[in-house]
Amino acid sequence: MRAALSRRRGLWGFPLAFVALAMLSLYRETIGFPVFYLTLLTTILFWTAQSTSWNILSGYSGYFSFGQAAFVGVGAYTTAVLYGRHQVDFYVTLGCSAVLCAVLALFVGGLAFRLRSLRGEIFALLTLAVPFILGALAQLNSAIDGGQGIIVTVPPFPSQLGLFQDYLYLISLAVAVGAVWAAYAIQHSRFGWALSAIRDAEDVAEGLGVATFRYKMLAIMVSGVIGGVSGSIFALQIGFVAVTSVFNLTVPLFVIVMSVLGGRAHWLGPVLGAGLVTLLQDRLTASGLADWRLVVLGGVLAVLVVIAPEGLYVRLRARPWPALAAFAVIVVGLRLANAFGGPLDWILYGALAAVVIAVLPGRLGRKTGTARAERTDRPEPTERKAAVPDRPSPDDDEPAPTGAEVLVECEDVARYFGGVRALDGVTLRIGSGELVGLVGPNGSGKTTMVSLLAGTLRPTRGTIRVAGRDIAGLPPHRVAHAGVARTYQIPRPFGSMTVRDNVAMAIMFGREPRSLPRARAAAERHIGFVGLGHLADARPDALNLHQRQLLEMARALGTNPKVLFLDEALAGLTPAEIDNAVEVVRRIQRGGTSIVIVEHLLRVVNQLATRIVVLDKGTLLADGEPRTVMRDPAVVQAYLGKRAHA
Amino acid sequence: MDTLQAGLSGVLVGGLYALMAAGLSITWGVLRIINLIHFGLILLGAYLTFQIASSWNVDPMLTLVITMPALFVLGALVQWTFDRLAISELSSLLLSFGLLIVIVQGISNLWSADFRQMSAEVNPYATRSVSLGGLDLVFPLPTLLAFGLAVVLIGGAHVALRRTFTGRALRAFAQDRAIAAAFGIDHRRIGVLLAGAAGATAAAAGMLFAMSTALTPATAFEWFGTVFAVVILGGIGHLLGTLVAGLLVGALGAVVTVLISAAAEPFVLFSTIVLVLLLRPQGLFAHGGTR
Repeated sequence: MRAALSRRRGLWGFPLAFVALAMLSLYRETIGFPVFYLTLLTTILFWTAQSTSWNILSGYSGYFSFGQAAFVGVGAYTTAVLYGRHQVDFYVTLGCSAVLCAVLALFVGGLAFRLRSLRGEIFALLTLAVPFILGALAQLNSAIDGGQGIIVTVPPFPSQLGLFQDYLYLISLAVAVGAVWAAYAIQHSRFGWALSAIRDAEDVAEGLGVATFRYKMLAIMVSGVIGGVSGSIFALQIGFVAVTSVFNLTVPLFVIVMSVLGGRAHWLGPVLGAGLVTLLQDRLTASGLADWRLVVLGGVLAVLVVIAPEGLYVRLRARPWPALAAFAVIVVGLRLANAFGGPLDWILYGALAAVVIAVLPGRLGRKTGTARAERTDRPEPTERKAAVPDRPSPDDDEPAPTGAEVLVECEDVARYFGGVRALDGVTLRIGSGELVGLVGPNGSGKTTMVSLLAGTLRPTRGTIRVAGRDIAGLPPHRVAHAGVARTYQIPRPFGSMTVRDNVAMAIMFGREPRSLPRARAAAERHIGFVGLGHLADARPDALNLHQRQLLEMARALGTNPKVLFLDEALAGLTPAEIDNAVEVVRRIQRGGTSIVIVEHLLRVVNQLATRIVVLDKGTLLADGEPRTVMRDPAVVQAYLGKRAHA
Repeated sequence: MDTLQAGLSGVLVGGLYALMAAGLSITWGVLRIINLIHFGLILLGAYLTFQIASSWNVDPMLTLVITMPALFVLGALVQWTFDRLAISELSSLLLSFGLLIVIVQGISNLWSADFRQMSAEVNPYATRSVSLGGLDLVFPLPTLLAFGLAVVLIGGAHVALRRTFTGRALRAFAQDRAIAAAFGIDHRRIGVLLAGAAGATAAAAGMLFAMSTALTPATAFEWFGTVFAVVILGGIGHLLGTLVAGLLVGALGAVVTVLISAAAEPFVLFSTIVLVLLLRPQGLFAHGGTR
């Protein structure tokens, strides 16, 4: 029901909003709407498009960009040079801007996102440098600017639209509505989910089968296209394009303040922020405080980061009525009193009062929970299977084969870190349906082994095959699609999603991609399978360690793996919890999935495993039946001796 | 000969880059805070030097007596606030970006956006230069001072980190906060001291800047590219690396300007950063080091 509603809003809401807002200009004279307001609205629309462009990349994926001015500048200069100087058709220049900005975005993304060591801060600093370099290029190159700036005249437009302001308003409106629509569509698609997962825990997402590089490139490209087209129109709006007016730091300041103020995780956030900040700027200028605009804005950003980092949208969702009431009371009150300036001032004061009510510290009441739990108006699953079958994998009916077929083959695998030989010449085979215990003292290479098999590390030497496929050199998400899943010793759930959605994520992007409603329904089964059914709607931060470990397992099962690596999944649990986890592991194995359990607790491994592999100093020390291996003198000396020593 | 002259002048100017970058690098490496306010502090140091020297008619070098303690206090105060608010690395970037804008706009409102420069009587250094007779090389005095101050301050800080108890505590803290805290290292006191010291280097950098060129608030933003290039090249938190990287970047920029054109400088610099990030993400000179 809600899914249908929300889809309808996507289809009809945006055209309706466009038409309604377009009326303001088309019937401007009939309703007596002053041109001055139209100009202000145009500015708001420009910033809406820009901050939405920023939000699609930085808000959704968590990679903060300080380079928004690059898109504005490239867009504005494309139009200024082609249309302003060479009289190319204005609409053609819009397309050129889109293409150029997309190329620029892909270039920057291609460089930055390929860096294995890329962290958010480095990305931010790289993007900070881009507008300055482009600005210097424009400044010095006389084919672009050369230092004098370029005049952009008014292009021909249909005269029935009215004044130039009407025309500008209408095209800005079209771009802004298009941008927000794109943001809405992305947020409600696989793309948006992938970006949320990247924001929460990028390498976990990659390991679950999300092609993170591709999605990041897509995000930066969409951001570039929107930013560029909107920048082109900005050239018309300012009429004179100079380096300082487009390639400057106020652009990233504005878009970041707007998005942070409004809320980054939601498509509506930047719209709220753009409206509020632009109005505030306008009123400050009107009160003769133009010099202090940036001081106020910088201060607002600093304060917001500290007190309301999640943004206004979330806060307003939590207290919609008090905020609305404050807004209405102030606006109506000032209107009746006819004091403190004109209508714009009243609206600003009303909005500020609403903001204060919204961000006021204190308990947000029970509504916060729901606002946060849903976070967005993501569609609810339409079909929900009530029955919880006890096997998660789709190949339910097949009997679990044991060791018949070789799933994982490591041939002479080595991995060196500089001079350290973490693994040296390990040859290992794991058959389907096996439950292998991988043990060894600290530093013996267990975790390296898991990382190699999950594709997060590449072997220095040797080949690794999963289900007959060579995985060396494949990105982790392809390895996941080949049938490998892992859990982390320290659980790393996607913090912004519920337990159900954590698992649904894995199913959506697993070996057999599914749509969100179907993935959610399927997630239900996995959650029930590990015994977290009662916590499906909880946030990961409400779970204890044991429950998080179970969530890790459910999520790994969601990818429908052939082989599952459990990296110290029992560490730090109480004896009762261990027994429960062991039971879950057994159940998973009965479902036909091969399991490699990396563990220190020999009691558990002895009990569980059908086979034990012992690593020591990067080499294979023993491999075989648990009883035989545990009696091997070399194992006793290497493993237990060291343990006793420790 | 032009290239040699340019390269050597570049190395000297690079001293200023290194000095600007050192404070940023060490607070980033040790305290995990990307403090863009540092640029604001440098700018403030420059304007304070200009104002004090011009209105009291004192030697710009002497203004350090006032500006260094002042910016020490300011830097320490900012760190104390960050610490209180328990800011994450990425939030620190946002928060300090907002505050940097406040500082720069505030300076612009106070001293106007026009270019400001100390008069020749107040600032005798600007016009003087040292020539190496036999080689036909000439170096402006401010750049020599920049080089000298950078070597003395960064070298001194490096020695302090190696030899003093506080320095060792800092290095331990940078490597593992929790363990260091467990051994009784007071992170708050150390962080505040370190940020204060970084503020003091900002005062020195600002003084050198005011001495050599005319000031305008927007320059704070123009430093971004170069200074972050130095920080990343030198290895985050690595002092000697920062010094060498600063000198290298200075030389590179100057040589590129002479050999190709001034327009090419940012491209070369940017490509260098990207290359370094691709090939040696830990920076050119880090071998474990401070971080």
